[in-house]
Amino acid sequence: MKRRRFLLLIGVGAGGIAIPASAYFLSSTVKEYAVLLIKREFHYLKLEEGSVEKYVNDYFQYPSNNLMEKLKWKAMYYLNIRPDKANSYFELLKYYLLSTDFFINKADETKIVKYLGLYSPYKSPVPNPFSFVLYPPDKIREA
Amino acid sequence: MQNNEYDLIVVGTGFASSFFLKKYLSKVGQSKRVLVLERGNLYPHAERLKVKRGEYSAYQKFEEPWENAINNINTEKRWPFTTGYGGCSNCWWGCTPRFMPSDFKMKTLYGIEQDWPVDYNDLDAYYYEAEELMSVSGPEGTPFPRKGKYPLPPHTFSLVDKILHKTYGNQYISQPTARASRSTSSRNSCMASSTCDTCPVNAKFTIENSNIGVYEDHRIELVYGAQVYSLETANDVVRKIYYIKDDKEYKASAEVVALGANPFFNTNILLNAGDKNPLTGRGFGEQLGMQVLIYLDNMSNVGGSTWVNANGYMLYDGAHRKDFAACLMEVSNAPYNIRLERGKWLNIASFRLLFEDLPQDKNYITTTSNKLIPEVNFNGRSEYVLKGIENMKEKLPGILSCLPVEKLKYLEPFPNEGHIIGGTRMSSDPKLGVVDKHLIHHQYRNLFVLGAGAFTTYSASNPTLTLSALSLFAADKTF
Repeated sequence: MKRRRFLLLIGVGAGGIAIPASAYFLSSTVKEYAVLLIKREFHYLKLEEGSVEKYVNDYFQYPSNNLMEKLKWKAMYYLNIRPDKANSYFELLKYYLLSTDFFINKADETKIVKYLGLYSPYKSPVPNPFSFVLYPPDKIREA
Repeated sequence: MQNNEYDLIVVGTGFASSFFLKKYLSKVGQSKRVLVLERGNLYPHAERLKVKRGEYSAYQKFEEPWENAINNINTEKRWPFTTGYGGCSNCWWGCTPRFMPSDFKMKTLYGIEQDWPVDYNDLDAYYYEAEELMSVSGPEGTPFPRKGKYPLPPHTFSLVDKILHKTYGNQYISQPTARASRSTSSRNSCMASSTCDTCPVNAKFTIENSNIGVYEDHRIELVYGAQVYSLETANDVVRKIYYIKDDKEYKASAEVVALGANPFFNTNILLNAGDKNPLTGRGFGEQLGMQVLIYLDNMSNVGGSTWVNANGYMLYDGAHRKDFAACLMEVSNAPYNIRLERGKWLNIASFRLLFEDLPQDKNYITTTSNKLIPEVNFNGRSEYVLKGIENMKEKLPGILSCLPVEKLKYLEPFPNEGHIIGGTRMSSDPKLGVVDKHLIHHQYRNLFVLGAGAFTTYSASNPTLTLSALSLFAADKTF
């Protein structure tokens, strides 16, 4: 019943991408492109300086993120892959937002987005973004 | 072990055993002696939380991977379960809808499989009792007959829920759930966390936090680490029960024995004991679940107060069940299904669709050369359930036409629902089942086989409340 899944890559685009593993072996390069992907995707948000890098560092320390998954990031950046075409990319972006105060601030784009710690229902201070904790019953209009 | 002669021996400490014992203890004298054999150990919720947070716990050694406890032949089909004190109450998600009256009458109403030897009315009082014991939260006005209020108020609706409830009335309700909407004496209020298997705030009913007073009773002797594997029978009576603890063989005797492990282990015990009923272990399975993501145009789906916020019954009952499966909708507050589109982040709803399946002979449980480990053979779904999926895809857009739907996205079926059903099915006719309406084995008349293994048919609804009510019913009618 474990619904949280990290990086179940189902292929990048329709045909997938062949990347020689040796070309992208340095994890620092992988992280660099992951950071670039996040910043490019959320270019319209005010991301706190250094917070994306901190998130990416934490994210890739998660045991489920294996090396072969990591090797795709540079390609995704340069090929301009959209997150809906690559599950790993979608997950990276999704967990970034869930790991920040973005939803606590009701997705207010005028506020600086701060990283609060890698999202976990057991550790992080971020509530379920859909929940009554952020949107109490008296704020939900009638049908 | 203080004795080896008991009035009652119970195997397991999950829902089936605990609710059976609750009723049993309320009906028998204070001098009775009961032995409870639990294969695992007490692994407290507080210690589980430590492990979830990445901290050390000395109790983690008691975590038994389910994959190691059975020989699962079809590894694409998963059967997660938890062993240890409280059994699957430690990992369930707390969904407690009642079955629909029709679920007990599949043969009479739809010509499908067999009717149960009990019906909704037989269980009604025990449903109420189980709901009280679990402090279930739920609404007034349900698709199944039920009078009055649930013990706790219902969880709150999102706008999507409100629209669907306004459109479909009691066919779309706040889910009856053992995730508390208000704090109780031993549980906190649900915070709509992003997981339920080990509740981050201890809002979900478990045997550990139940306060039902079973295992503290002076008549109970609870032994941990005791793996029951067989029975000794003579003249169709169970005489002894065999188990291993700390690598040593033990046996114990009782007037009555109740198997309350899950269907895999109940079957293993029966088959190792020489049960020749051709249906023992046959026809097990579970519902098929799949997720649909509902992309909404300019409507945010916020405000729900628990993970599974509502149940929809619009595809459940009806003449279609002659041809294909009922479908129960579970409406999720899943944080993992946000949209990565500017300004549309929460404009999405997520429904888990549960389809009933049918008992099939090709799906069976048997023994292995290791007497402790059952073999699980799941060889596929029925056409009945697959047709149900096709019908759902045809009907769902119309059902959701009251919402501003942009598009629907169906995900692949889940590899498990966490519901192990069948294998010791219930019947009036001994030729059609393994146990009778009181969950007593047709052949061994001092042997109860409890739990969802006894379900004659599966239903589309979550099984735990019904199996708990069945345990209360069986003990009440027998003792």
